Amino acid sequence: MTRTENRADYPNYLKCVERGGHRAEEPETDRPSPERTRAANEVGSAIAHQLNGPLTALRLYIGEIRQNSDRFRETAEAQDMQPMVEAAFQETERLCAMMRLITDTFEEPLYPETAAALGRDVISWWSRTGSPESGGSADAGGPAGTASSPSIHSRLTPREREVLSHVSQGCSNKQGAIRMQIGPRTFESHRARVMRKLGAKNAADLVRMALGER
Amino acid sequence: MDALQLRDAKRMPYLVKAVARILVIDDDACVSTAIQAILTRHRYDTTLSSRAHAGMHALQASRFDVVMVDLFMPGMNGLDTITRIRSGSAVPIIAMSGFRLRNSLDPEQDFLGMAMLRGATTSLRKPFSPPQLVAAIERSLGLTSSTEKTMQ
Repeated sequence: MTRTENRADYPNYLKCVERGGHRAEEPETDRPSPERTRAANEVGSAIAHQLNGPLTALRLYIGEIRQNSDRFRETAEAQDMQPMVEAAFQETERLCAMMRLITDTFEEPLYPETAAALGRDVISWWSRTGSPESGGSADAGGPAGTASSPSIHSRLTPREREVLSHVSQGCSNKQGAIRMQIGPRTFESHRARVMRKLGAKNAADLVRMALGER
Repeated sequence: MDALQLRDAKRMPYLVKAVARILVIDDDACVSTAIQAILTRHRYDTTLSSRAHAGMHALQASRFDVVMVDLFMPGMNGLDTITRIRSGSAVPIIAMSGFRLRNSLDPEQDFLGMAMLRGATTSLRKPFSPPQLVAAIERSLGLTSSTEKTMQ
């Protein structure tokens, strides 16, 4: 996937996040603008992401140290250290609890490299399970409401659209792969992604969707 | 594993059954090194990989019993990595992430949930503790045979 593709899909993701709706109705005078909030969230989530690594390492080390100081407290020195180890453990647990709160608060981790791909995932998941805007499509299991062609096209990357067109022309994985000059495995994984995104149960389902039928 | 067992395992490693091999794919070296330190103490053979592509190569070149994948990595992200692994292997996968991405319809739906949809065996939310880590590994190893059965 290329960078330009990512950028092209980026606004879709943002729109999708905003449709989530928690700030849409609030007056701008009371709160920072959505752009400001988003920027703050991006910075916040980037910092949280940076902190999370060292904190994970710290929790693992302290946890292991504590567990073992519990086991081998034969010497007096080890006994003296015990309260400090316990305190270090408690402080680490407190930090981790805070980190949990922080990462729960930041709902959109927006890294340019991953946001678009993850956003597409969220969008396809929403369209499969039914978002508030999609009205009646939330009922029943099937690929409800996903089949209108404009939304198919906006949800897929150019590469995936190409794969879909080959599949709907009746190409096998092998034939499609040859036409696109990629490996059959790669073609297959593109196809799987398209099916997942559109909620297609099988190849026939996929073709029906590509042709715009229900 | 209690203290006595651990000490026995150190003195008489031949009593311990075949060592399980764990592949850790995480771009943050401080995390993967800590995971390795803990898992080594629990008698696991751990291999580290800082990039998804390198991890995929390691997976193709050698047999692993469990793969741990971080969901946020530069290059190929963790979700795609899971899909790639699943397209060719039934190896148990542990997805790791510090983030959730909740939405108003289903607060349970988050990155780790998506990882499960893509075929991850289990998930760990960062920061996790040593017991949580070991439990996830043991859970994954326990699932190995049944997962293989369903994949074949």
